[in-house]
Order: sequence, then C-alpha cells, then structure tokens
Amino acid sequence: MVDTTDANKKFQKELNAGTAALVLLSILARSDEPMYGYRIAKLMEASTDSAPMMKQGALYPVLRSLEGSGLLESYVDPSVSGPPRRYYKITDSGLATLKNWTKIWDQTKSFVDSFLERNNDV
Amino acid sequence: MCKSVQEYLDKLKKELGRSADPALIQDALSDAETHLRIALDEEKSKSPGLSEAELLIPIVAKYGAPAEVAAAYLAMEPHIFPIREQPPHPDTRSLLSKIFAVLADSRAWSAFFYMLLAFVTGILFGGWAILGGIVSAGSLIFIIGLPLFGLFLLSIRGIALLEGRIVEALLGVRMPRRPLFVQKGLTWSDRYIALVKDKYSWRALLYAAMLFPLGLIYTSLFSLLFVFSLSFITSPVLELIFRLPLDLFGDDVFTPVWFLPVVFIAGLLLLPLTLHLARLVGRLHGRFAKAMLVRK
Repeated sequence: MVDTTDANKKFQKELNAGTAALVLLSILARSDEPMYGYRIAKLMEASTDSAPMMKQGALYPVLRSLEGSGLLESYVDPSVSGPPRRYYKITDSGLATLKNWTKIWDQTKSFVDSFLERNNDV
Repeated sequence: MCKSVQEYLDKLKKELGRSADPALIQDALSDAETHLRIALDEEKSKSPGLSEAELLIPIVAKYGAPAEVAAAYLAMEPHIFPIREQPPHPDTRSLLSKIFAVLADSRAWSAFFYMLLAFVTGILFGGWAILGGIVSAGSLIFIIGLPLFGLFLLSIRGIALLEGRIVEALLGVRMPRRPLFVQKGLTWSDRYIALVKDKYSWRALLYAAMLFPLGLIYTSLFSLLFVFSLSFITSPVLELIFRLPLDLFGDDVFTPVWFLPVVFIAGLLLLPLTLHLARLVGRLHGRFAKAMLVRK
C-alpha cells in the first residue's frame, strides 16, 4: 500500500516545482524595489495563514534558476549590519514571462477545478 | 539539530559535497549563511535570553534541514542555464565540416573574445595584484601597512569574483556567483587573521598575478593569428586588384601569383584553427580559474 504521507509529500514537491517560480516572479513584479531572499521568504510567510508550501531554503535555488534564465537580475549589497545580501529584481523578459505563465496557470487551474468540482458533486 | 550556523553550514556542505559542483556548494552555503544569520539577528532581538542553538530550532525548521535544502539545489542545478556546459554528443561530421563548423560556434568566438580581453584584465587585475601587493607588503613595516594589506587582500577577493563572472560568461565554466564573507561576530583582529590565513585569499592573489603574463601571451598570440589569417584570406584581392603587398614583419612582399591560392587556402584554414585553439586554451584556462578561484 502507498504511504499517504510520502505520496502527499511527493505530490506537493511536484506542484512546488513550477508554482514557486510563478509566485516568486509575481512577488518581485509587485514590489517597487529589489528584494533579498530573506525578505521574500518572510513576505510569503506573512501572506498566508496556512502552513508554508515549501521550505524557505528551497526558494534560493529557484531564484538562481530564474536569474540564470534572464527573468530576474541581481546584485550584492554589502550590508553594514550583517552579511552581504543579494537583491533580486524582475527583468522585462521576466514580466513578459509572468504574463504568459499567469495565463497558463489560469487555464490549468480552471481545467483541474472543473474535474475536482465534478468529484464533489458525486 | 544544529547548535550553530557554522554547524548547519558544515552539514549542508557535507550533503552537497557528494555530487555537487564546488561553485554550487559555495553559492548554496552563501545563501544559507546570509539567510540564517539575518534570521538569527532578528530572533535574538526578540528573545535576547535564548542561546543560538535554541533560536536556530524554529529558523532551521522553516529554512529546511541540510538534506532537504541540498536536495532542492541539486534538483534545480540542471535547470540553471549551465551556461554552455552541455553534455557532449557523438560527433559524426566529416573532418572538414568539423574544422569549419567552429566558425558558427558561439563558444569558440566567446573564448576568442576572452583571449583578446585578457590583455585588459591582465593589465588591470594582474597589475593591481603585483604592484598593489608590492606596495602594501612593503608598507607592512609601518603600522598603517596592516590595514592597507587587509584592504588589498579584500580587493583581490573582489577581483576574483569579477574575473569568475567573466570566465563563466565567456568560457562557460560554472563559477561562484556569491561573494565570500567572513563569519560575523568576530573582532576586527580575528577577521584580519582569518583573511590572511585563508588559503583562498592567496590563491586568488596568485591567480590575479598570473593573469598579467597570461593576458599578454593570450592577446598577442590570438590577435597575431587572427590578423595573419585575415591578411592571407584577403591577399589575392589586395595584391591583384589593389596592388597592396603583404606586410611581413615590416617587409613589403608581393606573393608570386601561382602561390596566391595556397596563401588564400592557408588563411581559410588558419581562421577556424585559431578558433579551435581559442576554445582549447579557454577550456584549459577555465579549469585553471576554477581550481584557483573556487573555495575548496
């Protein structure tokens, strides 16, 4: 028999793989100024009452990946009060990608919802 | 459970160390250290009575255990434009097309560009490493020399990071994207000792100093090869139509007409061979840069 905890974890992990990038792009698109990883993690934590979908440490490789694809750009600010912080900012290509990804997300969401609603009706 | 940030970083390094690229390890450690130290500072101000180990429990629970975080980095690494470190695939082309295909290879052109740029970086970085090193080491006989030497070593680390970015962009070798930083909470003298005792500072200094002769050699060699190949290719047109002789080390030479096709073909072959050589030297230099500029 399949271990439900493991199955849940696996499902969550697979979902996070794509959604984390979408959420990060969206946060940085809405922000007026560049943000560093810790601030983004705190913002995500504060904006939801439910348990966080992913560990904060897993956000950084996604940020790196987005930067590598040219959707974000970053610079290091040698903070006086602590370790140097890497600030991220969305690029024009990132904004265009966010627009496309949001469309894809909406389509996927309504497609999945249509089946889940049918299940609820049963 | 981790009693300190350092212990967390050691565990993360161990988890990553089994299969990760050294540059990825340096970036992952830098991300983790920055995050954990900011979180720790924030929690300390809220609960001043608690020890670092106690404060770290909820922080690490949110950040993720070293094994989880390592897995996230390793899973994402193949998606991070490995710039141009793609897996090799079997090459079934003929010898001639292999030679000339390099003309359409952006890696070869960017390696060639690195070789030309090496003159500038060699003079700037190498010159600073050699001259700055001599002046700041000489000033050590005075008390003011100590901070000057520390600042000089810090500047060399900055140069190492910048050169790493150039090497990654032009030679396609994965290099660190985060700066190194000295552990927080140390006194100035401890930081100074850590900076001087860190082998990385000395390796970076040696690399920057070696960039001076290397840059001169790279740029001279490749610009000469490039100029030769272009002048050979254009020599039939220049000599027969415009009556312009070849300038061989100051001597004006007209090539015998029967020999012009040979010169033209030699030039045609020399250009792709120059690019092949640039790619090869670029690959070797990339390995050298990685060995010297990535913290072990």
